Amino acid sequence: MTGYVLRRLLQLLPVLLLASIGIWAMIFAVPGGPVGMILGENATPDQVAAMTAQLGLDRPVVVQYWSWLTSALAGDLGVSIHSRQTVLSLIAERLPATIQLGLASIAVGLLIGVPVAVISALSPGSWLDRTLSGWSALALGVPTFWLGILLILLFAVYLQWLPSASGYVPIWQSPLDMLRNVVLPALTLGVYVSGIFARFLRASLVAELRADYVRTARSKGLAERDVVGRHVLRNALLPFVTIVGLMLANFIGGTVVTEAVFTYPGLGRLLVQAISTRDYPLIQGCILVILVIYVFVSVMVDVVYAYIDPRIEYS
Amino acid sequence: MSGAATRALGMAKRLFRNKGALAGFAFIATVTLLAAFAGFLPFDPLAQNIVESLEGPSAAHWFGTDELGRDIMVRVVYGARTSLLTAAGAVAIAAAIGIPMGLVAGFFGGWRDAVLMRLVDVLLALPGILFAMALIAVIGRSQMAALVAVGVHGIPGFARITRAQVLSLRKRDFVTAVEALGASSTYSMFRTVLPNSWSPILVQVVVLSSVAILLEAALAFLGVGIPPPTPSWGEMLRTGKSYLYEAPYYAVLPGLVLTLTILSLDTIGRALSVVLEDRQMIGGDTKLERVP
Repeated sequence: MTGYVLRRLLQLLPVLLLASIGIWAMIFAVPGGPVGMILGENATPDQVAAMTAQLGLDRPVVVQYWSWLTSALAGDLGVSIHSRQTVLSLIAERLPATIQLGLASIAVGLLIGVPVAVISALSPGSWLDRTLSGWSALALGVPTFWLGILLILLFAVYLQWLPSASGYVPIWQSPLDMLRNVVLPALTLGVYVSGIFARFLRASLVAELRADYVRTARSKGLAERDVVGRHVLRNALLPFVTIVGLMLANFIGGTVVTEAVFTYPGLGRLLVQAISTRDYPLIQGCILVILVIYVFVSVMVDVVYAYIDPRIEYS
Repeated sequence: MSGAATRALGMAKRLFRNKGALAGFAFIATVTLLAAFAGFLPFDPLAQNIVESLEGPSAAHWFGTDELGRDIMVRVVYGARTSLLTAAGAVAIAAAIGIPMGLVAGFFGGWRDAVLMRLVDVLLALPGILFAMALIAVIGRSQMAALVAVGVHGIPGFARITRAQVLSLRKRDFVTAVEALGASSTYSMFRTVLPNSWSPILVQVVVLSSVAILLEAALAFLGVGIPPPTPSWGEMLRTGKSYLYEAPYYAVLPGLVLTLTILSLDTIGRALSVVLEDRQMIGGDTKLERVP
């Protein structure tokens, strides 16, 4: 098992290395490069030379990349040009908000998606199945930013039940306030992801229902709810874990748009703000952190899957 | 009529027996025609009229007017032009790079396959919107930036699908026959394997068009897409969001058109993949006549 985890992590190295080179090199592709970015366009040649030396840009490229990488690995992602705070502290401030929203959205997605999948799988081809498949198609096709706007219009503008802008309230501070703030963005993302969950789980349920052990279970007189609840669902949920985990990984990096709709103070909004103020150290830091989290969660998903499914071999 | 045209016609007939696909096609055709001929209509998407700002839908302005008194429906029509052009360009970029990548990786295997697929892995490791935003952060906001960002995002899809298709065709008898007859690998790759791989690639074109339109709109909504005053659906949603209390239709109507466009493409894509899979099972190796 340990060997399997290590091997999976080792496979990641080339991907992370290539991506880190891309993120590091980003700054050199910007017009004016890192020096022009700090000094502006009207800098004298002396200032440019001094800044070049100060930033260590006169060193060989490989040395520069190596020193950037080692300090990034040690947690030093530089200082934001705009706010003068360290990039790490800015990210650390926003990360809990994004994780809370991601988890809430997955919860909503499961609450909608699992029943939809189970109901359609139990009567494939029926009108109920077709209607619910239509729901999945709709959930996947409607852009989250439009759905978010519709939800704001309904719940904040007309009914005035919920705030139109969502803040971050940690759940341990006030669960009720947290709910009020997170319910609309979580519903927006949850509806979308429920489409993915429903489609995937329905397909694996339908496949499982055809398996021999289901016929055996039925022929020995087991009640249908036990057949589905005890046997089919358990087997079908195994591969489903992967999808749920991947969507969670995605949400930690990919709630950018929904955060913008609800002006939610997460990592995605930090990145959008960084891009609009051309705050490159912050842009690099955000992308690097999001990427690392995304990749590691994906690996963790594989590991958990291998752990819970005894049929998977580690070698 | 040639064989290919007959086959295409038969396929279209089967495709449009699906009512959803027919409705989707009708909607996309309408939007495309309006976008293509918008220049001939006597409306200007940039004409401002502050006196008439934020007016609700009326006979004169079907979708109402925006904060500068511009007609929202006219801007939606011109926004369609932006969306469709960006999507077409992005799909072209993704196909032009992704298909040859998958073809070479699947056909030759070995180190070429390893290197190309690692590249695809890196592209896949980044969530699409993140990659697009990083690219735009570097090269700045413009239509070209949005197009390239969305296009690069589509490369892995084409590369993987083409590679999978090539791998399954590579060992088939008709490919071996072509090679035994002395065909070069370039000939075998482009004239024998590729023409038999087109059906999943065609489905991918439709799927990616839908993704591209959504991604372009999302970028514009975040304020990093095509810069104003060029009308774009995402940008209209972004501005409309500031007027939810005064003018709810402002964000709702352009969003509705965007949503219908995406749903139409999704429906066509699903129906197409059903029809094409059918055809493959019935038709088998229809391109055997291409043996030199």
